[in-house]
Amino acid sequence: MKNFEWVQPETVADAVAALGHPGAMALAGGVDLLDRLKERLDSPSRLVSLRKLPNLSEIKVAGGVATIGANVTLARLAADPALQKSHRIISDAAGHAATPQLRAMATIGGNLAQRPRCWYFRSEEFVCRKKGGAECFAQEGDNSMHAVFDNKLCAATHPSTVVTALIALGARVTIAGAKAREVELASFFVKPETDVRREVDLASGELITGLSVPASAANLRTAYTKQVAKQSFDWPLVDVAVALVMDGQTCRQATIVLGAVAPTPRRAVEAERVLAGATVDVLAAGRAARAAIASASPLAHNDHKVQILETVLARTIMNAAAGRAS
Amino acid sequence: MSHDDDELPSGLSRRAFIGGTTGGAAAVSLITLSGKARGATSPRVSGPGAVRISMTVNGAPRTLKVEPRTTLVRALRDELGLRGTKVGCDRGACGACTVHLDGETALACTTLALEVGDRKVTTIEGLAKGTTLHPIQQAFIEQDAMQCGFCTPGMVMSCAALLAKDAKPDRATIRNAVAGNLCRCGTYPKVFTAMMTASGQPAKGWTLETRTTGNPAAPPPGSAWVGIAGGAVTAQLRTIPETEAKPWPMNPGLNVVGKSTSRLDGRAKVTGEAQYTSDVALPGMLHARRVVSPHAHAIVKRVDTRKAEKLAGVKAVFVVKKQEGATLVDPSTEKNGTFPRIRYAGQCVAAVAATTPEIADDAARLIEVDYEVLPAATSLDAAMASSAPLVYPVRVNLGGSAGGGGAAKDLAQQGNLRGPTQLSEGDVDAELAASAHKITGTFRTQVQTHSPMETHGIVADWKPAELTVYMSTQGTSTVRDDLATVFDLPKSKVRVVCDFMGGGFGAKFGGGHFGVVAAELSRRAKAPVRLVLDRREQHTAVGNRPSTLQQLTLGATREGDLNAVDLVSHGTSGISTGAGVGWAAQRLFPANAVRTRQYDVFTHAGPGAAFRAPGMPQGVFALDQLVDELAERVGMDSLDLRDRLDVDERDGAPTAPERIARKLERRIGADRIGWKSRHAPGAEKGPIKTGIGVATSSWRRIVDMDSACEVRLARDGSIQLRSSVMDIGTGTRTALAMVLAEDFGLRPEDIHVQIGDTRWPIGPSSGGSKTLVGITPAVRQAAHEVRIKLFAAVGKKLGVEPKDLRIVPGRVESSVDPSKALAWKQACATIPTDELAAIASRPADWQGPKADGYGGVQFASVQVDTETGVIRVLKVVAVQECGRLINPLAVQSQINGGIIHGISWALFEDRHLDHKTGRMLNANLDQYKVLGAKDTPFIDVILLDQYVGLTNTDAHGIGEPANVATAAALANAVYNAIGVRIRELPMTPRTVLAALKKGNRS
Repeated sequence: MKNFEWVQPETVADAVAALGHPGAMALAGGVDLLDRLKERLDSPSRLVSLRKLPNLSEIKVAGGVATIGANVTLARLAADPALQKSHRIISDAAGHAATPQLRAMATIGGNLAQRPRCWYFRSEEFVCRKKGGAECFAQEGDNSMHAVFDNKLCAATHPSTVVTALIALGARVTIAGAKAREVELASFFVKPETDVRREVDLASGELITGLSVPASAANLRTAYTKQVAKQSFDWPLVDVAVALVMDGQTCRQATIVLGAVAPTPRRAVEAERVLAGATVDVLAAGRAARAAIASASPLAHNDHKVQILETVLARTIMNAAAGRAS
Repeated sequence: MSHDDDELPSGLSRRAFIGGTTGGAAAVSLITLSGKARGATSPRVSGPGAVRISMTVNGAPRTLKVEPRTTLVRALRDELGLRGTKVGCDRGACGACTVHLDGETALACTTLALEVGDRKVTTIEGLAKGTTLHPIQQAFIEQDAMQCGFCTPGMVMSCAALLAKDAKPDRATIRNAVAGNLCRCGTYPKVFTAMMTASGQPAKGWTLETRTTGNPAAPPPGSAWVGIAGGAVTAQLRTIPETEAKPWPMNPGLNVVGKSTSRLDGRAKVTGEAQYTSDVALPGMLHARRVVSPHAHAIVKRVDTRKAEKLAGVKAVFVVKKQEGATLVDPSTEKNGTFPRIRYAGQCVAAVAATTPEIADDAARLIEVDYEVLPAATSLDAAMASSAPLVYPVRVNLGGSAGGGGAAKDLAQQGNLRGPTQLSEGDVDAELAASAHKITGTFRTQVQTHSPMETHGIVADWKPAELTVYMSTQGTSTVRDDLATVFDLPKSKVRVVCDFMGGGFGAKFGGGHFGVVAAELSRRAKAPVRLVLDRREQHTAVGNRPSTLQQLTLGATREGDLNAVDLVSHGTSGISTGAGVGWAAQRLFPANAVRTRQYDVFTHAGPGAAFRAPGMPQGVFALDQLVDELAERVGMDSLDLRDRLDVDERDGAPTAPERIARKLERRIGADRIGWKSRHAPGAEKGPIKTGIGVATSSWRRIVDMDSACEVRLARDGSIQLRSSVMDIGTGTRTALAMVLAEDFGLRPEDIHVQIGDTRWPIGPSSGGSKTLVGITPAVRQAAHEVRIKLFAAVGKKLGVEPKDLRIVPGRVESSVDPSKALAWKQACATIPTDELAAIASRPADWQGPKADGYGGVQFASVQVDTETGVIRVLKVVAVQECGRLINPLAVQSQINGGIIHGISWALFEDRHLDHKTGRMLNANLDQYKVLGAKDTPFIDVILLDQYVGLTNTDAHGIGEPANVATAAALANAVYNAIGVRIRELPMTPRTVLAALKKGNRS
């Protein structure tokens, strides 16, 4: 790690000002950032510690609406009784992330802003497009862990699993900066075609302050699955969040978000269309899952992810319809 | 803020320190030394130089100086001297650095010291209350929830955090709570049982059953017991020299040996007091960093060290001019050029030593190296192509890596292929032609890295009088020998110390290239130098289990008797040799004809090394699957066929101890796993299917005659045992104390065991399951010689012939008239000098029928999701003999570890090299996947006490056999579940789905 200045503002305004300093980067839980500093992927001149910012460490659920401060840890998201009741799959997803120690350290703000785990990106020696290079090394290299959709320019997947659940429930992200703003989480992620060098729509001098998740309809059925090969600390093969507005056995509206399969969290609109208006049974779930993978474009070493996605999505749809936790 | 410090903290550079900024308001953690008012409008900026902070650690306020980049673990270890918190990966993936912040677990490697602020830090040193251990620490000791102990502090901290929240956690909660703590020795089952017992709950699921023979009597004079629990036991005649210790009775006749005993160094391990190499801190010690090649194949054109040398704090710079140490490259290939040819990404080019690790790191980056990059052959298949770039332009005569593996000398070499090493007995082609059943399979296994929790490390202290090195090693004398050779020093002037070490598994023999580099830097800098490799270097440069591509053919009669075994194997050990796997095919199941042709394939990749039963898990993975197929063809139960084949000679009966043992073990294991209820392959309905499989263990009994010790008895009755043998985490220290305690009528804790220092008599390396085979007879012999001297003195005092004296617990008495006796301390008070001592070497094996191998059988039950390809292991049953059981509790720990290693290799681990550049892509501990707590199955261990009558202890080893069968048992179980053979490791979702798609076509 190169040395840097460290500052710990106690107001959001101070944090915004400090982040405006050239070469400044925000430090939340540090889980991802410290790795990157050690690997010399980033060498900021200043770290702005967000730990002391007021009112960013709370989860509030009022009238079914959840407000989550950016500094809330994944461990708290997983364990919060009110959130478990109001938006269970967010807790499910948070509880399946990483390890107990990392969940206790990682904040939801940092989780959203973390950078991909593509092993080419993470290696200082490979100057890929994300680092200003001209090439995506995964295309011809070992791409077993990479994206199976939208993977031509950059095949790294977004590493957050919690985002799939958050997007499925319609979360919005609040951002402080020169001008405070709130955007749909679904549109917060930047496709490689838009800007391959960043994954989130966060300008210099901006920071995530929190999330709000709308109240769920009484007839909303949800389920989340993180499919891993190894049960203890593994990155997902795929992860899937499903939210179905049900009318008896009939699905009125479906929101399906796929993780670990594309450079950004991916809405499975084809699958959603199949389910809308359909009776949700094994056949419909299968049809929806097949629709979801129809446009997959796996690379040389990752076609298994497509089959796994199909399976896991079909199962998760059934879990959602049956009201089962996965 | 002002800096009022006269002296610099040990870890910080003056340059950086002086660069510190002063500012207005203080963050909570900063001490405002000047007393200026807080609350200015903009927050104070700290750094980039050193700042002084306060922190509450283990209940006490501490003041220390850190740079903004200083991590909590570095601050704790190097500034506060709290070295119980370990660094395993330094990337938040292994949990070795787990501490508590306000009671919540946190990773100290991924937390900046400045970020701690007002949160209270608790480290492993702060868990006990005075001398009273935390209940979980106590339970860890009692349940033997540790082996090498390097992960133990972190593991204990995770457990303690859970117990503080949940007084009676269930098993799933426990598994989840330690899912972020990796243990490469595989102690998870005992961590679970420790948690259950510490929370007052019954522990089930990870069981140990020890079966002993019933006879407590000593063998008749001139004989020794031979046999196994559950089988026949007889006294066999042996010629035992007069000067030697007499055979013991079987274990029921002993007081200490054979009884499960908590390890003597358990307390040191659960409290963080145990000092590992990376914890050694000598006055004036420097820190080293290596510069390694990012290219797999290159010529080094220029190395410019000037900028590095000018950096303040740099004390020595070393440019590699020839390869030395255990990763030796044949010098004949180095004739042309100033610098050694680069043959793998990660090869050392230069190194620096500086006053802090940070300066060393910065300096290493200032060394400029120009490479002429050449095309590389980084995979087995690429290197076998006729047009492949050559790893060696001329024939090389490499030995294997130190300590195991290796290949024959003077073999042919064509392209990158070296060999074959050939063995041929009988006419394989004719036998195959005459066989009713001919079965062939092509099997692939992957490269596995050792991934010990403690990376390779050394502290070298070069002094004119003596070179002292503290080394994380499995063999103190192997380090001494390498360094003495490289530096042309007499062995007598090289001292190697290894008190505790954090796992090796075969990769930590010899001085290693990095060891040579550190010693050279110390010589140049005239100061001690610490070089601890980081996780990437550990993965890439210091060993791995070679990959294999095996073509195996069995020919058998209609009844299943083996006519022929034919193996062609290719494997890559990178730039080194030792990828052979033929041993299983050659010896496990005898046939009329056997032919093995084994090739090493050189690749531009890091060198292999011995790895837990080198070659055997790979060989058995192929062989035991084909035997399973043969049983199906013959229409015979797979266990019955193994009974038929597991004989000394075809059509004969099992007479070798390991074969007799396995026959018993198969039946015991079959009952435990429920073999009778095993369904036909793939017979279960639904996408998720279960299956049961079995496989065979075997390993050689290796006798290392470099096994000696000194036993010293002081007049106060205290006893010291000294040897340069070290304890790799298997419990050697405790086993040796048990042996001595047995012979002196004492408790193990009464013996002061000092091992792991070449100042003491030579001891065997801890590898190849040969440690106790070698050292325990020497221990008994030394004890015997001390007893003779003691009996002379006691005999005089009691008026008893020394030959009539004996030791019983707590006293020395006449065997003729037990009323003539002295309590232990009184007896020792009779000795004429203040100390009686004896140094003994290991007596040779007694003459008698050979016992040249260990057996063992493992059964596995698995669940396979045929739609995701995910395999989960539900249960493993291990039935195992290993000679006389010394400490069943520790044997169980090793067997658990062997199985967990085997599962991890079979399902998860894989070294991903970028084929174009040869760089390892997953050189960490999250993408290089090591099995964790939630993937640990139930493990049922049944130990059979066994006697072969070859030494005065009959102790054997267990590390290797525990690991051999696991992957093959899983593969057979997967076949039973899904009806499709997986002939490739690791059995990842990708492999399984591909195999299912392909069906049973091989």
